[in-house]
Amino acid sequence: MISKLQGKNFWLIVIAAVLAAFPLFSDSRTMTILLTQIFIFSILAMSYDILLGYTGIVSFGHAMFFGVGAYTTAVILDRMEPTLGMFLLSIAAGMLIAGIISFIAGLLTLRLKSHFYAMFTMALAGLFLVAAEKWRAVTNGNDGFTFRAPEFFQDRTMFYLTALGCLIVVYLLLSRFVASPMGRVLIAVRENEQRTASLGYKTLHYKVTASVVAGIFASLAGSLYSVSLRFVNTSVMTMDITLDALLMTIIGGVGTLIGPILGATVIEFAQHYLSGLARDYPIFERWIIFFGIVYILAVVFFPQGIVGWFRQVRAKRSGKRAAALKAKQPVLKAKAEENG
Amino acid sequence: MDLLLNLTVNGLATGMLIFLLAAGLTLIFGLMSVLNFAHGGLFAWGAFSGVFFYGVTGSFLISVIGAVLTGIVLGFITEKLIIKPVYGNHVQQILITLGFMLVLSEMLKVVFGPNQIAAKTPDYLSGSWEAGGVILIKYRLFIILVGLLVFAVVQFILKRTKIGLIVRAGVLNKEMVQALGIDINKVFLYVFMAGAALAALAGALMAPYSGVVYAEMGLEFAILAFIVVVIGGMGSFPGSLLAAILVGLAGSYMAYFVPSLSLAVNMILMAVVLIFRPQGLFTAKEA
Repeated sequence: MISKLQGKNFWLIVIAAVLAAFPLFSDSRTMTILLTQIFIFSILAMSYDILLGYTGIVSFGHAMFFGVGAYTTAVILDRMEPTLGMFLLSIAAGMLIAGIISFIAGLLTLRLKSHFYAMFTMALAGLFLVAAEKWRAVTNGNDGFTFRAPEFFQDRTMFYLTALGCLIVVYLLLSRFVASPMGRVLIAVRENEQRTASLGYKTLHYKVTASVVAGIFASLAGSLYSVSLRFVNTSVMTMDITLDALLMTIIGGVGTLIGPILGATVIEFAQHYLSGLARDYPIFERWIIFFGIVYILAVVFFPQGIVGWFRQVRAKRSGKRAAALKAKQPVLKAKAEENG
Repeated sequence: MDLLLNLTVNGLATGMLIFLLAAGLTLIFGLMSVLNFAHGGLFAWGAFSGVFFYGVTGSFLISVIGAVLTGIVLGFITEKLIIKPVYGNHVQQILITLGFMLVLSEMLKVVFGPNQIAAKTPDYLSGSWEAGGVILIKYRLFIILVGLLVFAVVQFILKRTKIGLIVRAGVLNKEMVQALGIDINKVFLYVFMAGAALAALAGALMAPYSGVVYAEMGLEFAILAFIVVVIGGMGSFPGSLLAAILVGLAGSYMAYFVPSLSLAVNMILMAVVLIFRPQGLFTAKEA
């Protein structure tokens, strides 16, 4: 058990503890809000990575699930009592709806080539965006509406801790998920779907399950997001959210769970500081361009992202060590022969 | 009667614009099996540069030509820089073209400013004809005409010329064409540029039709074009015309009779096609 705690897990626990203790020694409001945002988007990006990184499915409609969660929570808290119980209920409801939608979308398109899922989710997300704009009775259209968050979250710190707790729980759950036999099959589908199918796995079932899992956790992120703002409008359904998830996953590292968290951290911090710079240099108002370019370069040159790059460096270093060892061996042998 | 006719003309005009966009998309997909998510960006660039050239020169014809040239140049850059490095990797293609879409539409805001710009219709195309109590808006008829013309020209090139033969052969069997000593990469490049030119043309024609151009229009229309490509069958050129008309008409009628369902109807069409005929309504080939 202790040996298990060493290495990666040990550092993760340290980081989680430091983050949990963070409100104790800092009362920077901006920082708390920024970190909360990072936790929420980490959940979104991880859920996205279940599709992109683990199963090799590209979805362009992830904002739809995020938006479903955000609106479900907002509407329930607004219409009913803003209590903690209602909050939990709204999360469950959002997850249920998101699960059903992703189930249907997956069933329709995942038996076809990868393009279809990308296109279909994009179009479906477009439909949801329009629906959120038009269905004013519920969503109040583009203007959105404010609502009261549960008493418990009036204190920013409590919400910060809740978001952190959710991130940790989702991380643990998804780690279990990707390490399970189910997760292994998903990776097999990513690597070679035909071969996986020929081994007797019903790949469609696995892909649809991945789609549902991703949708459910994206909805959770959306629920947390709307409560963090105490406000919701159509921006939660826009392509920008999908792009955020995509950028975070790609830049952080696909096919890992740490990658999306790292990516979310990098992107949120960069976004924060670049939009600060925009006051002085107007070009930074279009910071998306830089992200777009970095993203394109990342897709071509670093398809494994930060985590993959880090692993490569480490592998190279240990590879070098091995090579050095190998290079030494003949010398040692020669010496031994000399001595002998 | 008057109403129905107007709705039909309206739907046909929108359908033709979507067709111009979808045609490039479907050809590029059929030939290179690249789904170009940046296509809407090229469309938006066509729209903006059309408005720009119209403002500078005051000639509608020159503005359309300028937009098409912009599309060709951008198509060249896109193929060389974005598509080339990721041939054969579908996931990377989808990701990178979407990233380029982002860059394209943000670049629009840098070059032309973040606000929407009004687009004017030239005098000789504005106004309407009245024939027997039926009012026909000139510009819409003009779009329909251009759409049919483009369809005829492209169809002629595809069916009657050597390059068309190569392209069609490439859609059917890329390796075979290559084995016959034809530089398929060059064909890819030309088809991509042609597709980009069609997208830009659609954008340039769209601008006076909608009255304004804005950076997000690319994504909006790209979604419609995707729906059309799925309904018509990926890689089928006539299929995309029929599907575009179908989507245009359905959108136009629904917007009048059941406004709340106008976008949903396209999605429903797409879902039905995906369930029953995933290879597309108008193709015989298996997907």
